[in-house]
Amino acid sequence: MIYQRLFLVALLVVYAVLAYAATTYEAPFSYEPVGPRAFPLLLLILLAAGTVYLMIRPGQMAEENADTPLTGQVLGRLVLCVLALALFAFFFEKLGFIVSAFLFAIAMCRLYNGGWVTSVITGAVMSVAFYMLFDRVLDVPLPLGVLSGLGV
Amino acid sequence: METLGYLGQGFGVATTPLNLFTALCGTLIGTVVGLLPGLGPINGVALLIPIAFALGLPPETSLILLAAVYLGCEYGGRISSILLNIPGEASAVMTALDGHPLARQGKGGIALSISAAGSFTGGLIATIGVTIFAPLLAKWAVAFGPAEYFVMMVFAITCLAGMAGNKPMKTAVASLIGLLLACVGIDANSGVYRFTFGSLGLADGIQFVVLVLGLFSISEILVLLERTYYGQSALKTSGRMMFNMKEAMLVKWTVLRSGVVGFFMGILPGAGATMASAVAYMSEKRMATKDNRFGNGDLRGLAAPETANSAAACGSMVPMLTLGVPGSGTTAVMLGALTLYNITPGPMLFQTDPQLVWGLIASLFIANVMLVVMNIPLIRVFTKILAVPYWALVPGIAIVTAIGVYGVHATTFDLFLMIVIGVVGYILRKFDFPLSAVLLGFILGGIMEQNLRRALSISNGELSILWSSPITWGGWALVVLMLVLPMYRGWRRRRAAVPANP
Repeated sequence: MIYQRLFLVALLVVYAVLAYAATTYEAPFSYEPVGPRAFPLLLLILLAAGTVYLMIRPGQMAEENADTPLTGQVLGRLVLCVLALALFAFFFEKLGFIVSAFLFAIAMCRLYNGGWVTSVITGAVMSVAFYMLFDRVLDVPLPLGVLSGLGV
Repeated sequence: METLGYLGQGFGVATTPLNLFTALCGTLIGTVVGLLPGLGPINGVALLIPIAFALGLPPETSLILLAAVYLGCEYGGRISSILLNIPGEASAVMTALDGHPLARQGKGGIALSISAAGSFTGGLIATIGVTIFAPLLAKWAVAFGPAEYFVMMVFAITCLAGMAGNKPMKTAVASLIGLLLACVGIDANSGVYRFTFGSLGLADGIQFVVLVLGLFSISEILVLLERTYYGQSALKTSGRMMFNMKEAMLVKWTVLRSGVVGFFMGILPGAGATMASAVAYMSEKRMATKDNRFGNGDLRGLAAPETANSAAACGSMVPMLTLGVPGSGTTAVMLGALTLYNITPGPMLFQTDPQLVWGLIASLFIANVMLVVMNIPLIRVFTKILAVPYWALVPGIAIVTAIGVYGVHATTFDLFLMIVIGVVGYILRKFDFPLSAVLLGFILGGIMEQNLRRALSISNGELSILWSSPITWGGWALVVLMLVLPMYRGWRRRRAAVPANP
């Protein structure tokens, strides 16, 4: 419950920042009675009211969350997973799709309890297969990055 | 009679070789995606949008693909519920209640075949319902002005919260967050940049595909990581695969009733398959007075939610096609796909794109038949897929997700945005906020604000235009009903709780 309240407080802070930003939205000239400001502000007021209500009466949590408590170990893995995703996004264009997807797939495989050998094989197969499928067959252009010199 | 003519025309569209093949692929993909633990129709449909777009499919074909995947997921979801006791998505939770006990008693084959038959009947009833009601509603909805539309959207949001059962306020907050997210980007009317904080990547607003894949794919990956389990064991389906006459007779009325209930629940915006399966299960349980074995493997308890959720899946196409208001999270995604093709869903769709609408409706019939024909003989193949380990599944999902997002704009900014949305979505999910409400809010947000502003432009700022026609009165009455309903339910629950612990 305490975490939920903390989260709700964080939400309220975000609303306040957004509301402050929204008050400055002024149309330079306008053809209509309602400007760009009214609707977001109305939403923010309703959101704040709803969030305050939830802080007072949080209600019960779903059972789904009860049997998977967030232990330190799980949390560590979640952070690693988000980190892997972020690195994948960062290197997506820099290293190119094939290399970054290969490394990313190995990391993800390991995170989900795959062995080293299976991880490397999975990574190699997936990165090349998805590149061929999307870039060559489906016409979704993917960056080649460091491999672009190979002229494949 | 006019309807039959259009339906015939629709079958003409749906039976072209390309569309038939697409429907077949869609049903196969849908079944596989639905049965993989943790993946539901929203993920399946969302991942396919970029692919359908990349293939250059015409709009009606890609809509047929998405609808076939949607129906296929509802079929596939039951397999993992029955054999693994892991519902692939929320609407399959009720199926597991009686389906899994049946499988443990060695009646897995019977459970699978009777639920396939139930899904088929439910889908059929609902598709007939769509054929009858959608054109009527569309004709009526043409009279809607901006004020009426705005009221309808308010109704959709309150309906979402009012029907949400035990967490109306969380659902309301989630849908408001969605509405707010829709405001990000350049304002079409005044050219003001809203909530972009100087970022060029946000100037266009949050891309729909980025939001959906972040909310559903990335957060799902994180949830799967939590649940990484080792040797999951699917129960074997031994013995008789087909149900017999006696069993069919037992569930006959249950199936018919649940199909009708499911269809009407599906029409309500926001209620969708999850509510439909719960309502059908509960009412059948209450009705079954003699030899009631609900919860321990009663065939009626299995047939009711399965029939209802297939019916609701088809029923939710009605508000999508006629009003442009999605009836469920998955139809919200389909609506987003339509806007990618520059098609504005709404009552005019029946006049401007009849081949799209009727082709879709006809292909619902075809996909349903394909699914039932495919599901009974291929069930052993599908159960094999349940054994795919997470270490192979998750990296694949993650990479396809990233490609889908990158494919929209070819910027890595969208990838980062997707990850941020995914992490926030995961946190919201942990605190029990429904993510499909965020998505529905996001879809409705843009049209809702536009209609409000248009209405007030017509009236020169007079707010009274919002309650000046009989349709708006009806709409507001429904809104009030949806606001009062959860309060009444909470009050009754508290009153019932008082004598229990004095």
